Amino acid sequence: MDVLQNLATGFATALTLKNLYLAFVGCLWGTVVGVLPGIGPVAGITLLIPATYGIDATGAIIMMAGIYYGAMYGGSTTSILMNIPGESASVITCLDGYQMALKGRGGAALFIAAFGSWVGGTLSVIGLMLMAPMLAEFATKFGPPEMFAIYLLAFLLLSSIGQDFFTTMPMVLLGLLLASIGMDPLTGVLRFTHGVKHLYDGLGFVPVAMGAFGMGEILAATQESAEGRKVQKVRLRDLLPTREEFRASLGPIWRGTGIGFFVGLLPGSAHIVSSFLSYLVEKRISKHPERFGKGAIEGVAGPETANNAASGAAMIPFLGLGIPTGPPAAVMMIALLIHGVRPGPLFISEQPGVFWGLIASMYIGNVILLVLNLPLVSVFVTLLRVPFRLLFPIILLICLVGTFSVNLDTFELIVLLGAGILGYAFRCWGFEIAPMILALILGPAAEISFRQSLMRSGGSFAIFLHSPIALTLILVGCGLLAWNIYRSLQPQPAPAQG
Amino acid sequence: MNSRRIGSFVLLAAGLYGLILSLQLPMGKWNEPGAGAFPLIVSLLLCLAAGFIFLRAKTPEEADWRDVLRRQRTPCQIALFTAGFIAVLEGLGYLLSASLYAFALLYWISHYRLWAALGLALAIGGGSWLFFGKVFATPLPTGVLPF
Repeated sequence: MDVLQNLATGFATALTLKNLYLAFVGCLWGTVVGVLPGIGPVAGITLLIPATYGIDATGAIIMMAGIYYGAMYGGSTTSILMNIPGESASVITCLDGYQMALKGRGGAALFIAAFGSWVGGTLSVIGLMLMAPMLAEFATKFGPPEMFAIYLLAFLLLSSIGQDFFTTMPMVLLGLLLASIGMDPLTGVLRFTHGVKHLYDGLGFVPVAMGAFGMGEILAATQESAEGRKVQKVRLRDLLPTREEFRASLGPIWRGTGIGFFVGLLPGSAHIVSSFLSYLVEKRISKHPERFGKGAIEGVAGPETANNAASGAAMIPFLGLGIPTGPPAAVMMIALLIHGVRPGPLFISEQPGVFWGLIASMYIGNVILLVLNLPLVSVFVTLLRVPFRLLFPIILLICLVGTFSVNLDTFELIVLLGAGILGYAFRCWGFEIAPMILALILGPAAEISFRQSLMRSGGSFAIFLHSPIALTLILVGCGLLAWNIYRSLQPQPAPAQG
Repeated sequence: MNSRRIGSFVLLAAGLYGLILSLQLPMGKWNEPGAGAFPLIVSLLLCLAAGFIFLRAKTPEEADWRDVLRRQRTPCQIALFTAGFIAVLEGLGYLLSASLYAFALLYWISHYRLWAALGLALAIGGGSWLFFGKVFATPLPTGVLPF
């Protein structure tokens, strides 16, 4: 009953003209970001952070979430019509989606992708609505040792993002080291500042995230171009799938929802992993696996549903525990922190308006996206005609002005440039940049809980073993560490040269 | 040397930097860890991890440095232009520096013709100034211009 009452309050918040508008802008921008190759959802959300300064926290998170799942919707369009994934979760959709387009069934593929995304997105919001408050309530019993154990587990899970544990774990450590720059929160001692006053408050999240994700992505994208690729045409009347196609898609849509939801709860690139996993499952259980890769609609329905379900599920640990499970959630966390709202165990009880407003807006957003994506598909495809060589100076300027407008400080632009170069370089060297950003965000809280635990125990590390919750989390972490080391020590392809 | 080894060098340098500087910070005691304790642990682990990556990254063949440098040319140019934009932002003001920055990118990176690059740069610089400065009311540096 409480849930329904809260949801009604949430709808009252989300259905205000201002929040509806923000949800619409978020969904629209997210779709554009998803359609345009070279700008992922993370860069898309980061670029709009400055636009949220003038609005309240509820409006900000509604818009950010709209961008996130809008990008998941939009990513399928270029995969199906151009064989170019708009964002990484749609890579697998290229296999069968583009083949369908070549056979003149691109419209049906787009419809099923949008319908599956709507089902997956909506059902995952129901899961989020039911699970996040329970998780948050449980987490209110946590003290410093339990919180540190959670952070430790989160860092180990973040290290599982990449293929090789040994190249992601150092990035987490680098993020933690960067997080220690500035004034020590407990003693006030300055660390690694070299007398630079701009660093007393530590490295800003916005310049680092904008640089590493936004600028780094642009620097990497200037090496490759999607121009000159042929776009398959689709007419409005071709959008409806046949009865057989629709029937064949229902099973993959349900399974994709389940896979996406559970994979989405895990840290890492859940929306990417879930779409690949869904595709593999569909191919494995199909009576005609040979059809996959040649235009099987199941190969579109499952993955597209899964990546949207994962996006909703990823919000559960983010909102319930304050642990962003991936880069998009990390950037949303930055936006909320700017507005003075910190996601975590107390978030739902202290900010019910923000949480339930977000939940309600996600239901509305999924409908907006369904309405927006199908009739306007040809409009979005037109965006692909804007050449990247014209687009990237605009994106770079948005990054620069967006960062500058946080504190009106040119120093932050230097940090942005440094983070951009660092992000690009590590990308080239085969290291994941996302764990570094996530560790930078979680680092200060992890350090405080570590030191508070030791203070409380009089310097005994046994405090982490006395609490059953902390002990369980640490044991899970140890298991994960062992598995990661084992996995990474297996023979792997030689690294790229240069 | 392969790319992983270069990355591990940078990580090792960061770890050593953190290690040396955190040793100069108050360490405190176990029952009251000081400001240097956490960065020291992190730096130590980072050095170990970077060293391990360096040893593990095999070098099956030498990289073609000419090809590597050729591929880095455009990103390096963009980074240089961005540094230039940051350097002149306060002095010239947003409108002028943004237009110059956009022109540099459009002319030298995107290879638009001179007049096209100039026109587009003015449109992008002016448009972004209007959008951020007027619509979002961001106080952008005015510099030599009165607005």
